[in-house]
Amino acid sequence: MNDWPLYAQRRWAGKRVQRLEDPGMLTGATTYVTDVRLPRMLELAFIRSPAPNARIVSIDDEGARSVPGVRAVLGPEDLSHVHPTMDFVELDGALKTPRVTLPGDRVRYVGEPLAAVVGDDRYAAEDGADAVIVALEPLDDHEPIHDGIPGDRYFGQAAAYGDVDATFARAEHVVRRRLAFQRVVTSAIETCGIVADYDAAGEELTCYLSTQMPHLARAALAEALGLPVSHVRVICPAMGGAFGGKEVMLPEYLCAAAAAIRLRRPVRWVEDRSEALTAGAHGKEAGAELEAAFDGDGRLRAIRSRFVSDTGAYSSGIGAYVEFMVAAFTVPGLYRLDGYAYDTGGIVSHKAPLSPFRGVGMTTSQTVREVLVDDAARALGIDRMELRRRNLVADGPWQTVLGEHYEPGSWRTAFERALELIDYESFLERQAAARTDGRLLGVGVSPFVEAAGLGSAGGAGGLPGTSHDNATVSIDLSGRITVALPTFSHGQGHRTTAAQLVADMFAVAPEDVRVLDGDTARTPFGMGTFGSRSGVFIAGTVSGAGRIVRDKLLRVAEVLLEAAYEDLELVDGTVGVRGAPSRRIPLAALSGAAHFAPHVRAELGDPTLTATAFFDPPRPTHSNGTIAAVVEVDPGTGGVKIERIVVVEDCGTMLNPTIVEGQIRGGVAQGVGLALLERYVYDGAGQPQTTTLAEYLLPRATDLPTIEIEHLETPSENGTAGIKGMAEGPASATPAAVVCAVFDAIAPHSDAIHELPLRPETIAAALATP
Amino acid sequence: MTRVSIEVNGTVEELDVPPRLLLADLLRDRLGLTGTKIGCAMGACGACTVLLDGAPVRACLMFSVQANGRSVRTIENLANEAGELHPLQRALREHHGLQCGYCTPGILMAIAPLLESGQPLEPDAVREAIAGNLCRCTGYDTIVDAVVEASRP
Repeated sequence: MNDWPLYAQRRWAGKRVQRLEDPGMLTGATTYVTDVRLPRMLELAFIRSPAPNARIVSIDDEGARSVPGVRAVLGPEDLSHVHPTMDFVELDGALKTPRVTLPGDRVRYVGEPLAAVVGDDRYAAEDGADAVIVALEPLDDHEPIHDGIPGDRYFGQAAAYGDVDATFARAEHVVRRRLAFQRVVTSAIETCGIVADYDAAGEELTCYLSTQMPHLARAALAEALGLPVSHVRVICPAMGGAFGGKEVMLPEYLCAAAAAIRLRRPVRWVEDRSEALTAGAHGKEAGAELEAAFDGDGRLRAIRSRFVSDTGAYSSGIGAYVEFMVAAFTVPGLYRLDGYAYDTGGIVSHKAPLSPFRGVGMTTSQTVREVLVDDAARALGIDRMELRRRNLVADGPWQTVLGEHYEPGSWRTAFERALELIDYESFLERQAAARTDGRLLGVGVSPFVEAAGLGSAGGAGGLPGTSHDNATVSIDLSGRITVALPTFSHGQGHRTTAAQLVADMFAVAPEDVRVLDGDTARTPFGMGTFGSRSGVFIAGTVSGAGRIVRDKLLRVAEVLLEAAYEDLELVDGTVGVRGAPSRRIPLAALSGAAHFAPHVRAELGDPTLTATAFFDPPRPTHSNGTIAAVVEVDPGTGGVKIERIVVVEDCGTMLNPTIVEGQIRGGVAQGVGLALLERYVYDGAGQPQTTTLAEYLLPRATDLPTIEIEHLETPSENGTAGIKGMAEGPASATPAAVVCAVFDAIAPHSDAIHELPLRPETIAAALATP
Repeated sequence: MTRVSIEVNGTVEELDVPPRLLLADLLRDRLGLTGTKIGCAMGACGACTVLLDGAPVRACLMFSVQANGRSVRTIENLANEAGELHPLQRALREHHGLQCGYCTPGILMAIAPLLESGQPLEPDAVREAIAGNLCRCTGYDTIVDAVVEASRP
């Protein structure tokens, strides 16, 4: 869709405008959720289960009540009025795992909240929590984790597209690859938090809350607490990252809200890092198996996939399903296939519940598929890049074997450009020379497509999709423009990009645009920010609302200037007559006239300079790109040094290339973490082993090379103004590039590795295999 | 309670504090200086970095009483009195060296003393210098670029 003709100018959109949100962040002035402090505020701490699977015999809080500074202890019976939360996936055969806020009967994972203590400060609350005595009786591991889910598998789905079995029967080569994608933790540097405040006079509950989706969190709070949605307000003033980990309505939030209502005092809970690592937003765990059928000339004909995701004790929100469903649906990627079959599903276990994490599902499918393609090339004796050339989709539109329509992209161009940038041919020579010196160099190349901007026309991974997003544009008496967004920026720079769009629509400067988000009382209903949706939905809703207000402005000017509507133009904060520079009226004067001039109001009928517009994209957008990585593996230690990472990215029209590059760099860094460093470990007894940032390794500046970026630009047909959603593609495609590079360096020993991350000991053990 | 006297951003604060009160909590909860962030409370992420007598320390690894008689400088005091950003703050903005901004105060306070030596910094040295500060958004490149540029005369 091309909305640019509606815009007065193209002066700011597409430019590297410095972010408007930065000064507050750079000076410590920006208030984040965990910075919110209210008068008379109390703090809450949890007593959490030390056992993965046990019956709750008793919770004795007598001792806690006499601890100095303790104001209340909340146990299961105190929260019995809170409705259980449940995933909202509607699929045939899906079994539910309702989650009671504080379960009184049994615990299902280490870290599950058992009771809460409210104190004058966190120190007092933790003292109180230490004084609560919990008696647990271990349960037999053979008992079902949830009633009605025998075998612990709560959902499975299998399907075939094309004649897969016959294709495999005819195949000259069949290549198989098994790879376990590890459990990781989203690890935003600001942990989760809530400050809940109940106004008894107005019967309104206000929650300052870590959430990527304030309006959905508002509805979830209201539902669980039995309040009308109208009486709940969610505010997220600023948030220190999320990456998918702040989408689920946590029992901790419901506890704090219930405590605030009961105590009639603000109650704050801030997750500490050990809580975040033990019982917070875990992500990604999946076992994957792929087999591929090839012709003798290296044509990939069909793939069979199998995914099983251990999604922890409860299926929450949509997080658990998106992991294994998106994985199954994104296996074809950019490869031409005659047939594809999948078998995918989720199981519950005695681990923390899985949350979405950037590149949900896609990371697993991309990694195992690209590793398989490399395996196949080695098995068939064809160069790995040549094998991709024989099988990649040509630039342009494409319909996958699953029936998904990709809008035009630079699939092959991006791939070839990445090979040029990495200088693939010379690398092969350098690699061969290094081998003779005993040095292990490798290159990995990962071409990707990212479906984003998912609205009602398409859910992710075959899940039912729907959305509802609006923006409101208003002009006040000063002539300044305020835009209220359906999304919530927590690092993505929406205050800047939305202002760039509005500035061009009205011919003002971005600084003259006030951008509001993260407050359900100040913004119209919207789904929030996840799944690389914000660019598409901001542009769509803002264009729609802006067009209505812009039309009103022009009609006011029509009356005041006594000029024809079509002769009017927006220039430098004014409306004037085209070709008559002396006849211009500033926006403030136009706004004043719309507010108060009787003849203008009479002419306009409805003089309101405010409009709210709904937007739902006709189809998803498809950005694409290719990541290439060069690594050197230490043959003694198995340590990996990343020499280069090159990214070629095409997300259509860019609103702000600097912000796009920021998303790419951050995504690549997270991908490197997944490939080489991060893993959440439970021991055989269900006890977490990586409960601090000393054991759970996040990428540091010294773990990463400079990330080299080049842009291509194939404008979207489905997104407003040519914009394609992006931000998860580079994150989900980077592990494949790094893993393929390491496997290239150590081939054929790579066949011995079936799990991620590629830790030095994993690699060293593989190198020691014959 | 223990009486402490700590110079914070140029003002001497006299406070009665419990001996176990962390410096980070004193700054954030008692003095309202929430620019200092807490990311892990065990010294692994660097978000709470402040200057103690001019040298970077983790405010989550210190008790307030340990700062008695000493001077603390926080992010709120990095821009000058006229509100002009420190060259490092400006460089970070110009290079898009922050996204969610939560780790940013800690990175600024960790690096600021290094710049005051006046020596130009090479990229690898900057990577080493910020290796104690975790950022989950940027991938560090743009932070490194910003610091390198800010270190050049």
